[in-house]
This record gives sequence, structure tokens and C-alpha cells, in this order.
Amino acid sequence: MVCIKQVPATTAPKRYTADLRLDRAAAEAVINPLDEYAIEQALRLQESGAIESVGFLSMGPEQAGEALRRALAMGGDDATLVTDPDLGGADAWATARVLAAALDKLAPDVSLMGMASDDARGSLVPGAVAALRGMPLLSYGSELRIDGSVARVRRLTADGFDVVEAPLPVVASVTDQVGEPRYASLKGIMAAKRKPMETWSLADIGLSADDLHGAALSRVVEARKPEAKPPTERVEGVSADEAVTRIADWLAARKLI
Amino acid sequence: MSSDIAFLAEFANGAPTRAALELAAGAEELAGGSGGSAVALAYGPGAAGAATLGAAGASSAVVLGDDAAPAITHAAAAAATLRDLAPLALLAPATPNGRDLAGALVGLLGLPAFGPVRAVRIEGGTVRTEQATLQGTVITVSEPTEGAGRPAIVLVLPSTFTPREGGSGTAAVTSASAAAGPLGAARIVESHPAEAAVANLEEASIIVAGGRGVGSADGFAPLHELAAALGGAVGASRAAADAGWVPYQLQIGQTGKVVKPALYVGCGISGAIQHRVGMQTAESVLAINKDPDAPIGEFADLFVVGDLFAIVPKLTAEVRRRKGR
Repeated sequence: MVCIKQVPATTAPKRYTADLRLDRAAAEAVINPLDEYAIEQALRLQESGAIESVGFLSMGPEQAGEALRRALAMGGDDATLVTDPDLGGADAWATARVLAAALDKLAPDVSLMGMASDDARGSLVPGAVAALRGMPLLSYGSELRIDGSVARVRRLTADGFDVVEAPLPVVASVTDQVGEPRYASLKGIMAAKRKPMETWSLADIGLSADDLHGAALSRVVEARKPEAKPPTERVEGVSADEAVTRIADWLAARKLI
Repeated sequence: MSSDIAFLAEFANGAPTRAALELAAGAEELAGGSGGSAVALAYGPGAAGAATLGAAGASSAVVLGDDAAPAITHAAAAAATLRDLAPLALLAPATPNGRDLAGALVGLLGLPAFGPVRAVRIEGGTVRTEQATLQGTVITVSEPTEGAGRPAIVLVLPSTFTPREGGSGTAAVTSASAAAGPLGAARIVESHPAEAAVANLEEASIIVAGGRGVGSADGFAPLHELAAALGGAVGASRAAADAGWVPYQLQIGQTGKVVKPALYVGCGISGAIQHRVGMQTAESVLAINKDPDAPIGEFADLFVVGDLFAIVPKLTAEVRRRKGR
């Protein structure tokens, strides 16, 4: 089961609503780019016969169903959307709680995620979901392998890599080193329309708004633009020697040499 | 309930990591303002010697484990410790290990989480954090909601705090004992260190980074020369790491390292948003690129349009000359 998040497109203009939440309706939405690598990893495992089926799970507003359809166009078998008016502004903890409850119900051998989301970038959800579900985490895999009842990831270290292993079922996350995500083919896009997609409310996964403390334990109290930097100084159309002198003067003025 | 600030102190090869020393200084600074003290939660090879963190700012240290197990396997011990201490905040390094362990604590204890942040303050007994979101286009200030549990979990970017220098003192060490539980089922079964030493970019105050424009592994040779002349380290964009020209440990950006050097020199790097989020807090940014329209030209402090292979070797010589060697 691959967990995906719909996020504003990297290059789309974004703004916050009056209550300082991201205005998700205002920006073009895409599958979180780093989740596409998790999708790719899952589909490769399915193609190699290491796993039987691939499903997709997302939590978000109703339009997050579009992200699930796009994932289904890449491949896989079915999808589940958890959507509920009480989930707006969910933080890492509430998101993990909801995903964990949905995954408990779906009970996959591997709950797979991308290494981070493009918008929040905390990377806390995989660890939180593993803790809530009471199962091991194999994180930041540059490759995930399933061998019978054991899962393994290759994981970058400070100066090399480790192989980390755990018995199924596991929660896992993979990096952008697993291989470039495939594009959806026209055939895939047509097939996706006929693949089953379920929509669950909080009640369907046994949670209530009270369980989630208003969806968040944290709140944004201020949102502002970063301070504008001084304009870029450009050196253009000069010889290499002249450019070098200009750079060295600039470094010296900043006491960097 | 206390005004204490706890922090995750990862050890490697028998010594505290740079991140542990930075967070020790940060925890001491934050706790000092509200009458609390800094408490280390130490793990990893060498953590049994956490008393040395006293010189870095910690008043006490709780050892979660001294082995090379994945960080998240210490979550149960960390959770038990935090339940007892109820500190105001737990500072965690925004590294893969720090995020795994912090995430597990969020799940186990139901805690508010923040970050990765570039500033933390305690205001009137409340934790306030400052975070760049949406690829750095918005800065948000956040705090726990009323009634949220303690501690606030705060992921802290490298170089947010500066390690204490020449400190002395010994932290009072205790150890936590809690069964690892199901999170403990992940184990490292193979370890493959690199054949050659790999620089830790997060410790470098000057970084010379190369991208697609460097063209090959050999193309990095002049960048290494310049880095040596400047007293810095070599980094790279994802394109260069993907091409195999440098190891992935040198990748800067969204899926690599986040760095905050005094000087960042980008050579043949276009400056895509995914790279930018890894280096945009550098104090000074110099870019050399033959493409006058490269996005890096929009946010560099000095943008030189030209051939890096003509400029970089001459720049190395000039830097050496001006430094008098």
C-alpha cells in the first residue's frame, strides 16, 4: 500500500487562507513528486513478482482523488481516499493517526511512503505511523527488496551504505534513488478509470474529530514572505581574467579570503 | 513539568556528532532563558560516554543505547524518558535518523511537531518555531495548541546553533531501560563504508558545488582544487550525484544535505528549486554558469556568466596568490 499526498505543484503560486492554512484550492495540485518514487518502487516489486498487488492510500480533500487516479494510471490495482471535513489543517500527528488507522484496516504487508512531502518537509509521518501501528520502520531506502517474509532497504550512511532488515509487516520509505518514476500511458489512463476507488470518512476508520484534537496539536500563528535579498550582482561579457579579478575582489570584500 | 529542554544526541564512532554538539548549545541557550537545563537523550556508538556533553552545554544525559542499531529502535526508551521528564521541547536533528526517532515519538506520545526549523524561541513559556515552507516562498511561525502534550518536538536544521567552544563540565549520566518493542525489529545486517573518506558537508563553512555543467567525474578536479584553496569542501547537485560523478553523500538539496555555509560557490548548477532549498541560507552565494538565464542567477549574490573550466582554475591560482601561498 503506497501512501501518497496531493500537494501544490512545485512551481505553482501559493497562498495561505485567512486562518493561515495552505490554500489547497488555489494552486495546481499534483502527486507529491517524492511519492512518485514510492509508487515506482512498488510497481517494480509487483512486476518482479515479489509482491502480489499494489494499492494507493491518500488523506486529503475530495480532489485528492485525482492524485489517486493519476497513481492508478501509472499502475497498481485499487485506491482508498480518506476524506473528512474534520481533517482540514491536519498536522504530522493527526496525519499519522489517520493513515495508521486506515492502514490497520487495509492490513498490507508493506506500507510504503516517499521520503518527504514537497510542502511540509518534516518526514515525520513514516516514523509516527510505524510507532502507531506497532511495526518496524525501514526508512530512506535507495532500494526496497522483499524476500519471502523479510523486507530490506539499502540506506545511505555518512560515508557509505547499510542494509537494514525487518520481518513483514513493515512501514517503509524510499528516496529518489530508487529509479525514475514512469509516465502514465494512454492505456494506463484509460484503465485507471475502471480501477476500484473507495472513499472513507473518519468514522469508517474508527476515529472521531475528538480523537484528533481538531486535527492538529500545532498551529501557525504568522505567515510572511522571506526578507528580500539585495539584488544579484552580475558579471557578464568579460574575459576569464577580468571575471576572476572581480570574484576575488568580491571574496576579499566579504572577508572570505 | 519543567522548563528543561531535551535534545537528541547522536553518537558515531565513539564521539558525539556535530548535530549533537549544535543541539546541546541550542538546548542550553533556550533552557537558560527560562530557568531550566539541557538534557541529552544519547544514542549510537559511544553514547555511554555522554558525560562529555557537559562541556557542550548539557546538564544531564540519559543514555538510550550505545550500539549501532537504527535510531528509531531507541524510541521506546526515549518515550519513557520524556514521559518522566516532561521537558518543554525536544530538539531533534533534521537528519534521517533524527526524523525517524522524532516521528516515532510523535506517534508514541501524541505530540505537536515542528520543522525543519531555522529558528526556535521560548516566549512566555511557549515554544515558537520559524520554518520556511513551500520551497522557501513562505516563512511561518508556529506554536503548540493549548492543551497539546509535552514536549514539543522540534526538528532543527544543521547550523541553526553553533557548538560551544572551550566549554568544560560533565553531564550527569543515567541510562534508560525500556523494551524496544516492535520498533526494535529493524536491524542493520550489512554495513558498507566508502573506500575513500567522504566530507561531511554540514560541517563545511565553505562549499564549492558542481552540477550538470561540470560534465564528468574528472570535471570535478578543478572544483576540488578551488575548495582546497578556499579551505572548503566539495558538494554537488542531484544531477551530478545521479550521474555518478560524486557520491550521494555530497548531494545538496531537498533529497540531500541542507547546508548553511559562509560561502557557497555553485559551478555549472542551474539552481532548480530542489537544489535551492538545500543551500538558500548560505551567507554568500557565488554562481558561475555559462547560461545567462540559469535560475541561480536570480538568487546568487554574485553571478558570473562564463565558462567554469576557464574561470575556476584561474580563480584557484588567484585565491592562493592573495592568501600568500
